[in-house]
Amino acid sequence: MSIFTPTNQIRLTNVAVVRMKKGGKRFEIACYKNKVVSWRSGAEKDLDEVLQTHSVFVNVSKGQAAKKDDLTGAFGTDDLTEICKQILANGELQVSDKERRTQLETSFRDIATIVAEKCVNPETKRPYTVNLIERAMKDIHYSIKANKSTKQQALEVIRQLKETMEIQRAHMRLRLMLPAKDAKRLKEKLKPLLQIVESEDFDEDLEMVVLVDPGCYREIDELIRCETKGRGSLEVLSLKDVEEGEEKL
Amino acid sequence: MGLTILEKIKVLQKNPANIRNLCILAHVDHGEQEYLLNLIDSPGHVDFSSEVSTAVRLCDGAIVIVDAVEGVCPQTQAVLRQAWLENIRPVLVINKIDRLILELKLTSQEAYSHLQKILGQVNAVTGSLFTSKVLEERAEKDSEEPEREASGYGEEVVYDWSAGLEEVDDSNLYFSPDQGNVVFASAIDGWGFSIQQFAEIYSQRMGIRPWVLLKTLWGDFYLNAKAKKIIKGAQAKGKKPLFVQLVLDNIWSLYDAVVTKRDKEKVDKVVTSLGVKIMARDTRHSDPKVLLSAICSQWLPVPQAVLSMVCEKLPSPLEMSAERVEKLLSVGARRFNSLPQQTQELKQVFLQCSSEDNAPVIVFVSKMFVVDSKALPHKRQRPLTHEEIAQRREVARQRHAERMASALAVKEQSAEEEEERETFVAFARVFSGVVRPGQRVFVLGPKYDPALGLNTLPEGCSAQSDSLPDTPHMSRSTLGGLYLLMGRELEELEEVPAGNVLGIGGLEDFVLKSATLSSSPACPPFTPLNFEATPIVRVAIEPKHPSEMPKLVRGMRLLNQADPCAEVLIQETGEHVLVTAGEVHLQRCLDDLRQRFAKIEISASKPIIPFRETVVRPPKVDMVNEDLGKQHKVAIIHQVKEDSSLGRSSDTLHVDSVGLVTLTTPNRLATVSIRAIPLPQEVMSLLESSAELIRTLEQVNMSLREGRALEVNPRTLEDIAALKDRLETLLQGHRWRNAVERIWAFGPRRYGPNILLNGVESYQRPSVWQCLNHSADKPHTTLRDLDNSIVSGFQLATLAGPMCEEPLMGVCFSLERWDVQTSASAPHQDSVEEEEDAVSQDAPGDIEAQGENAAVGQAKWRIEADCYGPVSGQLIAATKEACRHAFQAQPQRLMAAMYTCEIMATAEVLGRVYGVLGKREGRVVHEEMKEGTDMFTIKAILPVAESFGFTDEIRKRTSGLASPQLIFSHWEVISSDPYWVPTTEEEYLHFGEKADSANQALKYMNAVRRRKGLYVEEKTVEHAEKQRTLGKNK
Repeated sequence: MSIFTPTNQIRLTNVAVVRMKKGGKRFEIACYKNKVVSWRSGAEKDLDEVLQTHSVFVNVSKGQAAKKDDLTGAFGTDDLTEICKQILANGELQVSDKERRTQLETSFRDIATIVAEKCVNPETKRPYTVNLIERAMKDIHYSIKANKSTKQQALEVIRQLKETMEIQRAHMRLRLMLPAKDAKRLKEKLKPLLQIVESEDFDEDLEMVVLVDPGCYREIDELIRCETKGRGSLEVLSLKDVEEGEEKL
Repeated sequence: MGLTILEKIKVLQKNPANIRNLCILAHVDHGEQEYLLNLIDSPGHVDFSSEVSTAVRLCDGAIVIVDAVEGVCPQTQAVLRQAWLENIRPVLVINKIDRLILELKLTSQEAYSHLQKILGQVNAVTGSLFTSKVLEERAEKDSEEPEREASGYGEEVVYDWSAGLEEVDDSNLYFSPDQGNVVFASAIDGWGFSIQQFAEIYSQRMGIRPWVLLKTLWGDFYLNAKAKKIIKGAQAKGKKPLFVQLVLDNIWSLYDAVVTKRDKEKVDKVVTSLGVKIMARDTRHSDPKVLLSAICSQWLPVPQAVLSMVCEKLPSPLEMSAERVEKLLSVGARRFNSLPQQTQELKQVFLQCSSEDNAPVIVFVSKMFVVDSKALPHKRQRPLTHEEIAQRREVARQRHAERMASALAVKEQSAEEEEERETFVAFARVFSGVVRPGQRVFVLGPKYDPALGLNTLPEGCSAQSDSLPDTPHMSRSTLGGLYLLMGRELEELEEVPAGNVLGIGGLEDFVLKSATLSSSPACPPFTPLNFEATPIVRVAIEPKHPSEMPKLVRGMRLLNQADPCAEVLIQETGEHVLVTAGEVHLQRCLDDLRQRFAKIEISASKPIIPFRETVVRPPKVDMVNEDLGKQHKVAIIHQVKEDSSLGRSSDTLHVDSVGLVTLTTPNRLATVSIRAIPLPQEVMSLLESSAELIRTLEQVNMSLREGRALEVNPRTLEDIAALKDRLETLLQGHRWRNAVERIWAFGPRRYGPNILLNGVESYQRPSVWQCLNHSADKPHTTLRDLDNSIVSGFQLATLAGPMCEEPLMGVCFSLERWDVQTSASAPHQDSVEEEEDAVSQDAPGDIEAQGENAAVGQAKWRIEADCYGPVSGQLIAATKEACRHAFQAQPQRLMAAMYTCEIMATAEVLGRVYGVLGKREGRVVHEEMKEGTDMFTIKAILPVAESFGFTDEIRKRTSGLASPQLIFSHWEVISSDPYWVPTTEEEYLHFGEKADSANQALKYMNAVRRRKGLYVEEKTVEHAEKQRTLGKNK
């Protein structure tokens, strides 16, 4: 009978436990810290760098190994390495602080990159750099939500950034061809959706080159298709209206 | 004279003969004549040599100051070269001679030889400049008449060893004390002398004629006291040279008495013998230096020595050499005599330097500098005159037209009002005529051609009239206030006659950095300033707070105008890049931005480095140069997990062994098969260089597709045909058969260096070259539906590659199969739909919002749209994915941008230059010795990624004796494979299991991926066992 005293207490260090419940039983494996996520993402290829030992436990901290019968019953095999791999792939684990931090950092950068790609400085029509967006995101204290996709969050960030700095979604350049009959009526309807009308040419048909917010595209498309019964058309001239090339001040 | 200083200056300005414009290169009444000296001090550091350039242009002479201890430094060479290039006459001051006495403790004899050596070095620099010029001229002459020589009589073709050096007189070029253009000085102790002074003193005392002394005081002469003769050959006979005996010894004994020994009696003796009066206060001072300077400043005052040399030896504006005028006026490679007649007549005007009212006004502005508005004499800006308002309005209108955005112009104006505290003053010199405030003049840009200007402008027109035809590179402006530059002070002037240096206000809208102002359209713009240092150190600049971006942009604009050597540009990535001449210069620019121009916090960082992605032919040998074919691959010890992201054998994707990728869209309606092929190097460079042309071609095709015929310039058509021919000759061989005809599109952005080939047998698509033969009646082939989707997919794939989302380069995608089982739907909408889907992929959030907006009454149309839309969209996605997979099926490589780097270095630092180059992955292309000098020119290639800090390092390592110049040259494939792991036995032996040696390409790739927030295949912890194993609470 062991008494739990500081002298005979064995602390597990550098151990990350991955648990899995299968067949009504709980199985655990002992892994190294900070390695499981790398294994799952495929960066770590050496199993020995992940597993402390190739044995499967019922309770790692107590050192109770799982019974062979239970293993075959739950996994259908008694190959411990194979079972370890299964548990590694599907088990639950406590993500370590280091792993979490890298994850957050990556998604933070990812969001900043998406924002930088989609937006321009409205004055110069040039994109902002990722670094600058990152700094701006920190300034508005944006916190990352793990359960939302980075793209969704990027759109959210853009909206919030607009309050503090000069930023704008890069406009799309569209060419609208409207048949003469509907042109006038349709133009009124389109007006609130168009940002800038670059050229307007009214001979038989109305031809317009316009800049619009990418968010309005579907709406405009819908409107034109329905109102003109398919005779009007819409062509995207450029997805993103930005200045190209270098400019010397 | 009873005049205030200012009034006197105004009087003196009227007479150009008594003006000396000079600048001090490194770190001031004489006789009966009064002179006006315009002194321009310029910094000595190499980074600021641009400031020297601006100063040198406005001057007629220069004082070059050399440290007696350090001798000739790289910057001394640089300034001498600049003075030489501008044809201005230099005089030499050897300063800090006291250090020879007190610090180095040289004897007077040693000091003499040391001084001789320095003089020799300086003259060697001048000499090499001179020889290289003579050689150049000779080479020019030779190349002009080679055939004449060849056809000459046999015996007369003799190679001339003298190289023409003897024929050209160079005696007046060199610095020599007996010519009076050298002053020895110790400014800190207040003394300085030229030989003349001593010659005068001793001619009285010793009864030798002054000109004899003048000739012999410097050089290998000694005094034979018995014979009372001056005899040559002091060195050979071991005698003291005259200079040591008569000059240096006196100074040495003075220092000895005053500073070293502090012998009061001796000092008194010296003082009385020199005939100077010393205040009692000075003699009692505890610091001997005070006494020393008190004596010296009376005995050999430095201002007098330097000023008399300046006044006597340096030319006045009247004496400007004809050669210099021609050099100033002949822009570029044009010879002076090829300029129009009227322009050539202007030469006389220059030489006369006349201040008559009818003389044409010619002013050169060499730089713009910023002055606090408060410093201006009139304190407040005057209200604008009507003319000026009209002028400004015109400028604003021009700007308006340029920007096309009204909002921008308005902002600009408000910004101008805000920044009134900083005013630009042009730093200029009048070369001819009289300048008055409010005068209208032509502002000539560097590309202005007087011949053209004379033709377009009516005869005898002046800048006064308002209705003049537009001439390229020329504008008209009104001069604002004229200022006399007196150190920090500015004094307003009513008029400034020829030959003077002045400040001109009100030019900031017309002059960027430098310009030529003239009242005559015949005047050509002056040759651009010779900058010793070209801007090379690049940094990206960002404001600390993103909302301050506009302030930063404005600040950078001001900086650009104020600094002759700084360049500011906005890159395509949106980065604001500042290019400066060196690290010190950079520091100053940043400080200026922070404190004067932008007044915000900024941060400078390494600029973003672009890469390209490409594929190459599969290699035949492994990393240790063993043949791959014979070796069997060693079983990989590491478990290679099934790469789920690639999904090589998923149900929609199939990759065969030769790299043909077949992909089916998720709805199983369309299938594409694509193969990636590397394009030959030449084709890639051809495509890259003809990007503009391809763009035009694309526009023509676009309009043809819509049924409108666009009028094309026949020239352009010829160019396109030529491009096609070139491509055909370059794409030879079995695999490229008929490839040029089959080109489907170029990418990315429809004009990049990648090609989409149509390899579908059954699909006859109109060629991209259709504009070449559109007149011929060809059987009209039509586009298949969804043609555009394929192209869009290709464009997207080439814009961002799979390695690190950088654009592709030199990749040919060949579409070999394309099956679509589509329901018959309206084909004319394909181009619309395809983009729509690209957008919808882009912005899922937007779509959610819009879904609800759709009106109910339009349901019928929606159904059709929905069942149709996804097909084209899916096809885009499928094409893009297929391209990416096809790309990945080939050996992938990164391409790095490369600089060509020209380095000028002296022989002794050559090794260190190579060391720095090697460390930064550079490679030397060639190296040669520059004719007539001991400089080597090295041409090397250096990756842009390694160039940050390169200049600084090379300067430091070579003590400034090598100066690199970096110019972007080309893209180069990095030979190492970023995904490489050792596979063969040999490789295991050589690199070990983990291939621990650094993989350059992988390093670059991961850096880019990390920057973009992409997934980097990197372990959080490299070695599991080596972690700190203790718990947090221990």
